[in-house]
Amino acid sequence: MAKKPSMGRQKIKIQKIEVKNHLQVTFSKRRSGLFKKASELCTLCGVEIAIIVFSPAGKVFSFGHPNVESIIDRYLTRNPNPNNSITDPFNLAEAQRSASVRDLNLQLGQIVNELEMERKRGENLDNMRKTNENHYWWESPVCKLGLEELEQLKEAMEELKKNVTLQGSKMMNSTSIFGSNVAGVFDQYESKPNQAILGSNSGASINNNFGYCHGFF
Amino acid sequence: MTRKKVKLAFITNDSARKATFKKRKKGLMKKVSELSTLCGIDACAIVYSPYESSPEVWPDLRGAQRVVSQFKRMPEMEQSKKMVNQESFIRNRISKAADQLKKVHKDNREKEITQLMYQCLTGKGLQGLGVADLNDMGWLLDQNLKEIYKRIEGLKRAAPASGSEVVEEKAAVAEIGGGGGVDGSAAAMQRGQQWFTEWMGNNNININPSANQQQQMGSSSFGHNGGGDEMIMGGFNDGNNNHPATMWSNVFFP
Repeated sequence: MAKKPSMGRQKIKIQKIEVKNHLQVTFSKRRSGLFKKASELCTLCGVEIAIIVFSPAGKVFSFGHPNVESIIDRYLTRNPNPNNSITDPFNLAEAQRSASVRDLNLQLGQIVNELEMERKRGENLDNMRKTNENHYWWESPVCKLGLEELEQLKEAMEELKKNVTLQGSKMMNSTSIFGSNVAGVFDQYESKPNQAILGSNSGASINNNFGYCHGFF
Repeated sequence: MTRKKVKLAFITNDSARKATFKKRKKGLMKKVSELSTLCGIDACAIVYSPYESSPEVWPDLRGAQRVVSQFKRMPEMEQSKKMVNQESFIRNRISKAADQLKKVHKDNREKEITQLMYQCLTGKGLQGLGVADLNDMGWLLDQNLKEIYKRIEGLKRAAPASGSEVVEEKAAVAEIGGGGGVDGSAAAMQRGQQWFTEWMGNNNININPSANQQQQMGSSSFGHNGGGDEMIMGGFNDGNNNHPATMWSNVFFP
């Protein structure tokens, strides 16, 4: 599944967008990006922020750290001294909140990294596939193939499917005792079942398998 | 501008933190301003920092005050509906990233198994494969076969007068030979035979499975299908297997 190419970065004039649809999409994206930037600023520099944004439809979005209301109140009362609970080291609630934000950011960082790596992996796989597509006709997408090729491919695939099913059930039979974790356990071992143990399915050969079991548990 | 990756954690170095703050605050204000102009909406930003006694505000003190009042005038529910703080915002980001990761992972898995499938189609053994891989490959084969059946169906329906049906039914040979024609119309049969004659005589049917060749074949309409549908005779596998060619010749060149 190839990613649909987007328009990429376009330079636009900073003036009211005419097309309603574009305006709504832009609002959605930019509002999200704005909050993201605000969140990062708070994390990186330890500052307190509030942002209020009205949508084209009249709804209101707000972001605040530590929370919108306290920042607004502080602003409205022109209180030069920040609410002490925030900087008070003995305020447990605040400390916990800070700690949890720290953890969340760590978690976020990790998952974003993972995402980037998976995306790169996907790109590599795509490139490999592209190269192969040019060399081997059977790797081309089905819609590009002619009738004769399709028939051949069909037969080859049906044959493979048969073998895969066969191999699969062979493996399942030799491991049915162990339940669904089979794949994980057996991946490391030869898929060829031990002849001595493989009498038949489950029931009858329970005794035989106990010897086998000890190896794993 | 440097494009070094920045860790999402409090910057402990004081001067670095201050520098970052200045830059990013400026950028943030710019973004709010752009959002407001582009979308024609009201907005405000209030930033408290240890570096200034009074907060930095966008658009300005009056403007921000106005927006804040507007905000407070709204019903409580409306205010809180789309209100977020660091915690909820980051949690949300994590959840979205997790969903994306799941999807990309799934796509990658499909790509991997596809590759594996092609390897097995061309000779790789099934011995070393785990049950999970086998399972997934079986599923993928089914998916592909479904598509192939559909397409074969479609192609056959699109060009019934051609000898494509002959591929399957050797019995049909008699009919075709007899001039009765599969679709009952002599003209169509004529068309079909003509088309195959051309094809057989045409030594362009290169057994080379290169992509270019394919496209050439695909686009060359053998021209005589009345319905305007192109019968796409793709390339054939390597020259060693003359199977299809001989089949044709049996039918039309006794």
